[in-house]
Amino acid sequence: MNRELLPVASGDRIRVVLAGLLRERRGVVLGGLVALLASAGASMAVAPLLGLVVDVVVQRRGPDAVTAPVVGLVAAALAQGALAVVGGMLVARAGEGLLADLRERFVARALSLPLARVEEAGAGDLTSRVTSDLSLVGDAVREAVPNVARGGLVIVATLVGLAALDGRFLLAALVALPVQALTARWYLRRSTPLYAEQRRVGGAQQQQLLDTVGGIGTVRSLVLHDEHRRRVSSRAADVVALALRVVRLQTGFFGRLNLAEFLGIAAVLATGTWLVSIDAASVGTASAAALYFIALFTPINETLFLLDTVQSAGASLARVVGVADLGPAPERPVGEDGSVAVRGVRHSYVAGHEVLSDVDLDIPAGARVALVGASGAGKTTLAGLVAGVHVPTAGAVAAGRVGLVTQEVHVFAGPLADDLRLAAPSASDDDLAAAVEAVGASTWVAALPDGIDTVVGAGGHALTGAQAQQLALARLLLADPPVAVLDEATAEAGSSGARALDEAAERVLVGRTGIVVAHRLVQAATADRIVVMDAGRIVESGTHDELLAAGGRYATLWSTQQG
Amino acid sequence: MTSERHSHSIGAPESAVRSVLGGALRERRRPIAAATVLFCGHQAGEALVPVLVGVVIDRAVATGDPGALVLWLTLLGLDFLVLSFCYRWGARRSWYADVTTDQALRLRVADRVLDPRGGAETGRLPGELTSVAVTDAKRVGVVAFALPLGIAALAAMAVAATVLLTSSLVLGVLVLVGTPLLLAAVHYLGRPLERRSGPEQEAAARASGVAADLVEGFRVLGGLRAQPAAVTRYVGASRAALAATLGATRAQALYQGAVLAANGLFLALVALVGGRLAASGVISVGELVAAVGLAQFLVTPLQILGWVNGRLAQGRASARRIGEVLSAPFAVGTSDVNERHSRAPGASESAARSEGQSAERSKGELSVREALDGVDLDLEAGAHVGVVCADPADAAAIVRALARESATPAVVTLDGTDVTTLDPTESRRRVLVAAHDAVLFSGTVAETVGAAAVGDVGPALAAAHADQVAEVLPDGLHSAVSEQGRSLSGGQRQRLALARALAADPPVLVLHDPTTAVDAVTEARIAAGVAALRAGRTTLVVATRPALLAATDRVVHVVGGRVAATGTHAALLDDPSYRGALG
Repeated sequence: MNRELLPVASGDRIRVVLAGLLRERRGVVLGGLVALLASAGASMAVAPLLGLVVDVVVQRRGPDAVTAPVVGLVAAALAQGALAVVGGMLVARAGEGLLADLRERFVARALSLPLARVEEAGAGDLTSRVTSDLSLVGDAVREAVPNVARGGLVIVATLVGLAALDGRFLLAALVALPVQALTARWYLRRSTPLYAEQRRVGGAQQQQLLDTVGGIGTVRSLVLHDEHRRRVSSRAADVVALALRVVRLQTGFFGRLNLAEFLGIAAVLATGTWLVSIDAASVGTASAAALYFIALFTPINETLFLLDTVQSAGASLARVVGVADLGPAPERPVGEDGSVAVRGVRHSYVAGHEVLSDVDLDIPAGARVALVGASGAGKTTLAGLVAGVHVPTAGAVAAGRVGLVTQEVHVFAGPLADDLRLAAPSASDDDLAAAVEAVGASTWVAALPDGIDTVVGAGGHALTGAQAQQLALARLLLADPPVAVLDEATAEAGSSGARALDEAAERVLVGRTGIVVAHRLVQAATADRIVVMDAGRIVESGTHDELLAAGGRYATLWSTQQG
Repeated sequence: MTSERHSHSIGAPESAVRSVLGGALRERRRPIAAATVLFCGHQAGEALVPVLVGVVIDRAVATGDPGALVLWLTLLGLDFLVLSFCYRWGARRSWYADVTTDQALRLRVADRVLDPRGGAETGRLPGELTSVAVTDAKRVGVVAFALPLGIAALAAMAVAATVLLTSSLVLGVLVLVGTPLLLAAVHYLGRPLERRSGPEQEAAARASGVAADLVEGFRVLGGLRAQPAAVTRYVGASRAALAATLGATRAQALYQGAVLAANGLFLALVALVGGRLAASGVISVGELVAAVGLAQFLVTPLQILGWVNGRLAQGRASARRIGEVLSAPFAVGTSDVNERHSRAPGASESAARSEGQSAERSKGELSVREALDGVDLDLEAGAHVGVVCADPADAAAIVRALARESATPAVVTLDGTDVTTLDPTESRRRVLVAAHDAVLFSGTVAETVGAAAVGDVGPALAAAHADQVAEVLPDGLHSAVSEQGRSLSGGQRQRLALARALAADPPVLVLHDPTTAVDAVTEARIAAGVAALRAGRTTLVVATRPALLAATDRVVHVVGGRVAATGTHAALLDDPSYRGALG
């Protein structure tokens, strides 16, 4: 499978995009960081103030001398809290706003990509970017980035505090640094691929369960129980093995950081002993240095642990920005009226494998053409070219504004009325009711719990295949294009709703140029012209009566279908 | 297994919780016990760090004694070694208990869903049932992880309490009473946040749901040039999510600030009381440092206890949902008529084996009494019969009667044997119902068609014209069928499903609307192919497409729940009501 995936932005490009988004909210970002830094600074006062308490004790200045440093501790606590509130709010506002801008830009671009480009990449590529990548970036901006920023600022402030006590305490604390740096590098190299693998295997198991549960009727009728039991359980072993690899990685990570912690605290205590013995520091100062360093354990562990999230989010961000940077689809010039002209068109999806050859077709405005032929004859490709979904490899297609409805139906999640208004945002309630009526859906729509305002689609009221297709036709009616292409738009219904859908399609086509890809010949028989296709070429063309009289393929087909 | 499942009497959630949760924990008692001991060691080690630092300050820093420094730093190093080792192996054992519990429960739910007698999915959407197998199993698994942590947190609190109380009763009581009070206050402060986070997550989920939904409907939007309207809609959802999230982040920032301030104020209180005690000579400087350190340290185990408590509540609720699925009543019995006989241990298996042999020999003589109120069907061995129903609901009811998915009033007899006396698996092996909405599972085209195949799939592929489907796919028969065949067109899906049913070569094959999405040319070829392949085997075609019906020996025309006429397709065509029922 040689898929041409959608683009991924380079590191430089991501930096440019992020810088641009940050610049737009410069004031908020700077204000937030300053407040967080000040909050971290206030927390730095805690250890020396405790040191003062220790000094009061050591110097035997009496219990009342404790009060002054304690008042300082109270002030530090209040300042720390208040500044953290301001900083947290500002950073969150900047982050959330940035995220909203980014996702809106991404979705706008994603929806206007040329269909051919999306198909080339596989539908899963765009879907995974819109779901998992956007949510990974969101989690990072919401959780990891503020915490890494806060943790980083606390670490910096603490180191500054250590230096303020005595530069030699800072040097002692830095003994831990090489171990921490190596640990972070060791962890990041392994974590990203391992977590990606874990998500993939977990997702595959969940997909398998969904597959099995959703198709349980089929599993039973074909007696596939053993195979499906095997499929579910074979993935269980992978999930367990990967989870154990993850825990080994994480415990290895924390184990190495424990070593760094011990080296650092031992160095600080030894330095304290030495400095006190040469009278360069008081016992209180040495205690403060030790407390400083202990207070570093948690922010360092958390920050280094979150670096992984930041790193994975970076990869997701590259995939999001890659799409957001794409240009819009080239628009085909739209003709004035409803006529369609197809001139010398050839088309191939894969080079060297031509699916349409030398197709010429002229349809006057308002006429109805039915495309008939076996699967693979090129009907859907021709319909797609007329609808502007694909650009022909050679030749030209000229047509007015075209609306296309295929057998692929999708019911948009939300109120039914909102679904219809996607086709015509300014449609009135009466317009919607008229469209629903015209496609013969008014009875079941009225019977829905909240009528046309019922929430349908994923997570809402489930519609049948036939109902979804009626909805698709109603949307076409509301979009009101001069040319309508129906590609097997009534096929999915089965025998239950086929006739109602045929009638709905008839009404939708009134007053438009229509191109209908038909499975059942009764749909074709009433067309102004029937075009029979075979192996990418038009082999017969004429009215129903003309083609029957000619006694060719169509006539043969007609007689078999009539039994 | 069977008798065990029956012992979960239906609708007894309390016993279900006990058996699911208790059973899961009992099965992993060894790793859970090991993890508990190790986590206790870890917490004790963590608690000792500030204590030992205090001792170093007392004995080395204050005195400048290098021997004491080396001695106590060595002990501190040993403490780090022990706490690191304990955490490493405790985490590994408890994670092992967690993920294996999770997977074992997931497989039990899958096993119940896959039971041939069905019933687990009754009244549950596929997504719901999958979420029981995934999310609920995971939540019960987390209990196996949380339990050792919780016990260790209690142990850590005990260690801290002992150290504090032995150095100073007043300071000990202050820290031990004050810390829980502090956490209760923090919890109280956090309550508005919990209330806010619900709507925030909903709005964020809605925005991402809207985006995914619009992308899924990509082609539909493209076909109608509706992208601008879709973008407008998404921006609306995104801005609503932003507003909700901003409200919640404000609450979050307030909460975090309040926690910081509360912690700092409590620390100031400990410093005040401890400092005064130390200044009066009641406790040593080292004990003061240790008390301050422990006051900070205690926050963690108390938070762990809060977390563990939440996981236990979730785990119980999840165990109840799993228990409900596991004890769901079966849709059809091993024998619908003679339950007692088939409940005997091992009976169904041995019966299935002996019947399995006879499935090969089954002649395929099918009789259905009261498929509908007034419809009886009789198919002699090898018959190829069509059923046309004016009302699609009648067709669906007839198919349902044959599928044996649920108890129906119809009496289906095969070769003179009532099929309800057979194991459901066995009766489905003999009478295969290829439903209109049959699902394709992931795998290659060859694997899909061969899923239930007996022998070579070539003839079935050809008869259903599925070989042509494979030809146009990139890797032929080895092309992947993914996402329930969504990568294929409706017609391609139907042809693969038909080939799969044909390849199973059952004594009786029931086809329901097998070619509705197939073009007319191909359909005519398929009709002929199926008739030729099934020659000598009994086939019932419930459909309205003329090409399929023309290939049958005779057609039963059902109107208003009664048989209106029986005859060849050609003969029935004279009847306008029959022609009207055709699609």
